[in-house]
Amino acid sequence: MLILGPFLMLGITIGAGYVGASSGANSSNVAIISSQSTLRKNFLKENSDNIDKKVTDEKTAAKKMRKDNLAGYIVLKADNKQVTAKYVGTTSLSSSMKSKVNSFLAQTQQQLNMAQAKLSSQQLQALQQRPKLTEHIQEKAGTANLGKIISFWITVIMVYMILITYTNITAQEIASEKGTKVMEIIFSSTTALKYFLGKIFGVLLVILTQILVYLIGGWGAYIFAENSSLTKSFVDEYQSLINSVMHNLLSINLIYLLLGVVIYTILAAFCGALVAKVEDASKAAQPVVMLNLVAFFVTFPFQNNVDSIVVKILSYVPFFSSYFMPLRLINNNASVMEITISLLILLASIILLATYIGKIYQGLMLQTDDSSFWKRFKRGLSYK
Amino acid sequence: MLKIDHISKQFGELQALKQVTFDVADGEILGLIGQNGAGKSTTFHSILNFLNYQGSITWNDKPITESVFDEIGYLPEERSLMPKLTIEQQIIYLARLKNKSTKEIKPVIDSWLKKFAVKGNKKDKIKDLSKGNQQKVQLICTLIHDPKLIILDEPFSGLDPVNSDLLKQAILDAKKRGAAIIFSSHDMENVEEICDKLVMLRNGKIVLHGTVQEVRDSFGKTRIYVTTDKTIDELAMLPHVVAAKPLEKRRFVLYLDEESSGKTIFDELTNGQYIEEFSQQAPTLNEIFRRKAGEKDE
Repeated sequence: MLILGPFLMLGITIGAGYVGASSGANSSNVAIISSQSTLRKNFLKENSDNIDKKVTDEKTAAKKMRKDNLAGYIVLKADNKQVTAKYVGTTSLSSSMKSKVNSFLAQTQQQLNMAQAKLSSQQLQALQQRPKLTEHIQEKAGTANLGKIISFWITVIMVYMILITYTNITAQEIASEKGTKVMEIIFSSTTALKYFLGKIFGVLLVILTQILVYLIGGWGAYIFAENSSLTKSFVDEYQSLINSVMHNLLSINLIYLLLGVVIYTILAAFCGALVAKVEDASKAAQPVVMLNLVAFFVTFPFQNNVDSIVVKILSYVPFFSSYFMPLRLINNNASVMEITISLLILLASIILLATYIGKIYQGLMLQTDDSSFWKRFKRGLSYK
Repeated sequence: MLKIDHISKQFGELQALKQVTFDVADGEILGLIGQNGAGKSTTFHSILNFLNYQGSITWNDKPITESVFDEIGYLPEERSLMPKLTIEQQIIYLARLKNKSTKEIKPVIDSWLKKFAVKGNKKDKIKDLSKGNQQKVQLICTLIHDPKLIILDEPFSGLDPVNSDLLKQAILDAKKRGAAIIFSSHDMENVEEICDKLVMLRNGKIVLHGTVQEVRDSFGKTRIYVTTDKTIDELAMLPHVVAAKPLEKRRFVLYLDEESSGKTIFDELTNGQYIEEFSQQAPTLNEIFRRKAGEKDE
């Protein structure tokens, strides 16, 4: 459920969108009517979307409009000198349809004009010369670019949500085990360090599975969106933006997400092991949740200021680097050396923290004093 | 052999164990008795290496570390299993922690369930079992890997007499195959029945140690069980009798001031005539427990 949740939401959204679009589809269509079949054919050849091709005369169109099955109809006419279009409808013509009609009329009129002028082929060629517009968008520092903004928000929200989910699950699970005698049985069979690392490794495998499922699911959704008539035009229109966002998400940022989950999970396990009794399991994750919340919100002010020294420092600090280094990476603000150092610090912190907590884990899990935090911590250390 | 050599443990101000020393040989059962808070569980936790302590504990001359964990079977005081697992999954999970493969354990689960008369199916979830059956499953988890050192913390608590007998038989079977067994109990009858040796702790210190008979005899044979037509008042008036209690019809127990008074009582009671029952015995373990528990530390 945890892993499939987002897909269910996506499925429901697409399903609802599809139902909404298909139920409203007929009533937003227009009919193309013309006594000159070549003219109608030419129009339909170039424009097929949002057109009810079955309606060929005004009488049928009017009937369909009354039943609310048609938004309107366009009557196309052409003589030797001029081509005209008349729209009759219950709502005004959509801007995209209006531009399609205008474009068709201009093209047909041009052909008529050229035929009337009886021009030579050279003159025709000269007249067909069109102006040229080329776009060159320069990449800016900061997240002014839309792709970067989207990548930033997707990344931080994804990191935040996943961390919250896993820290809560881990802390609560460990807190609910605390003080139960099953821990004594386990510790009489294996070392606490092995058991603790096994738990963390288990969480790591779950998150890896989740990321894998998301990658496959995301790829499937992309293929669907690329081919579905509902979303194809959107995907085509924003292809470069989508590519840029995907590039930012499917990068070393995933490693930061993964290692972020590991270090937060270790801390959550520690907090879970420190609760006084099983009933406090729900409160166990609070310190880690707060830390995650702080890291999440501190990221916001710096989304347009990645050159700040604060961003640079926090991109090396464990627990914060999972937010700040991706922020720098999205903005191409970190060198390979900086990424390597940041990852090494994060990895070293994970190893040190896991080893230390693994060593005191048995003591923390076996003592069940209902005393203050520090007393419990001290008493835990008196165990092995 | 399990050797516990002068172990001490302090929790803040509290001295939980003081110079505790005893051993349990292979094929021997030791009963660890004492009031609540006497240090029994702390002793077990020290043996299992859960705690830092002073002194030394060895199993077959090796310190108890991960390398000998597979040889240990431990039943904690409160029962606790994983409620979402089935009986089979739970037994296999804990056996695998003891380095037993699923292949080795799976075929013997049914016979163990039968041995302990566990009601239900091995596919039943732990949470759906009665408390008694959960306890029996936990006992199976403790014993199924044939441990050489068995540590049972209050194994009889909550068991009815029939299930107590099943457990006693399982403990005696383990003894027969050479396991060293140490268990704590508040039920002196069970201790008297199956233990070779006992250790009694009071405030972390050993106050009794030896075989059951040695411990009882050390208190002198100051109890006389008689079956007679005399009344309780007549019995209470006898010389050297501190108190007399009726047990059943015509049967009484007389408490003497000293063991040597037995002959005088015998002469007084029989007066050269027939007597149906006259038996001079040491106090029961239950009485000894109550007396020692009530004493103050020196």
